[in-house]
Amino acid sequence: MKSHPRLRAYMAGILLPTWFLLLILAALLLTPATHPLRAGAERAIVFPMAVVPNLWGVWNLLYLAPGLRRRIPIGAFGALLPLVLVPAGMALASALDLGFYTARQGVVMLPIGMALYYLAWKYAVAYFNRVVEVG
Amino acid sequence: MSHDDEIDLVARQLRSALPPWDDLEPRVDLWPRMLERLQHQPAPFGWFESALAALILLALAFFPELVPMILYHL
Repeated sequence: MKSHPRLRAYMAGILLPTWFLLLILAALLLTPATHPLRAGAERAIVFPMAVVPNLWGVWNLLYLAPGLRRRIPIGAFGALLPLVLVPAGMALASALDLGFYTARQGVVMLPIGMALYYLAWKYAVAYFNRVVEVG
Repeated sequence: MSHDDEIDLVARQLRSALPPWDDLEPRVDLWPRMLERLQHQPAPFGWFESALAALILLALAFFPELVPMILYHL
């Protein structure tokens, strides 16, 4: 398996958030229509559906850059992704007038997200990379 | 035609029917890659990772309002 390493890295990167999105969608469908979480959910889902998986793929692609893999472990590299995702998510939430979280809550959430991403990248994405032979 | 002659004839015809294989050896040595895969150890779930997972669960237990935000970014 030697051809298209960038494509394989991208696909390995998008796999986990794509699976996770199915769970979120299923949970949303099972939530009663009157629940506060359902309000604006169809607009909010744009971010985890379109932006998040693609950024995971691109982030994993970036990790293929020469020298990067030797300098920084994949878990730490993945933990940096929320530094891009959280401001982007806040900007989109503001543009779509979702208003379900404030900038202060975003800052509080950032270290939790980074910790979660560290574990997800260290174990799940690293495993997918090994399977497709890019890690 | 004896039995051995028949075998020789079939062998010659088979050899002439198959194209010659010029490069029987793989272009790169595959053994180091195989060895690397065999010796690879999965990353251990150590004390740091356990502490991190516990902190995440604790934080989400104390601040449940952060759960939708976490889901939004996953």
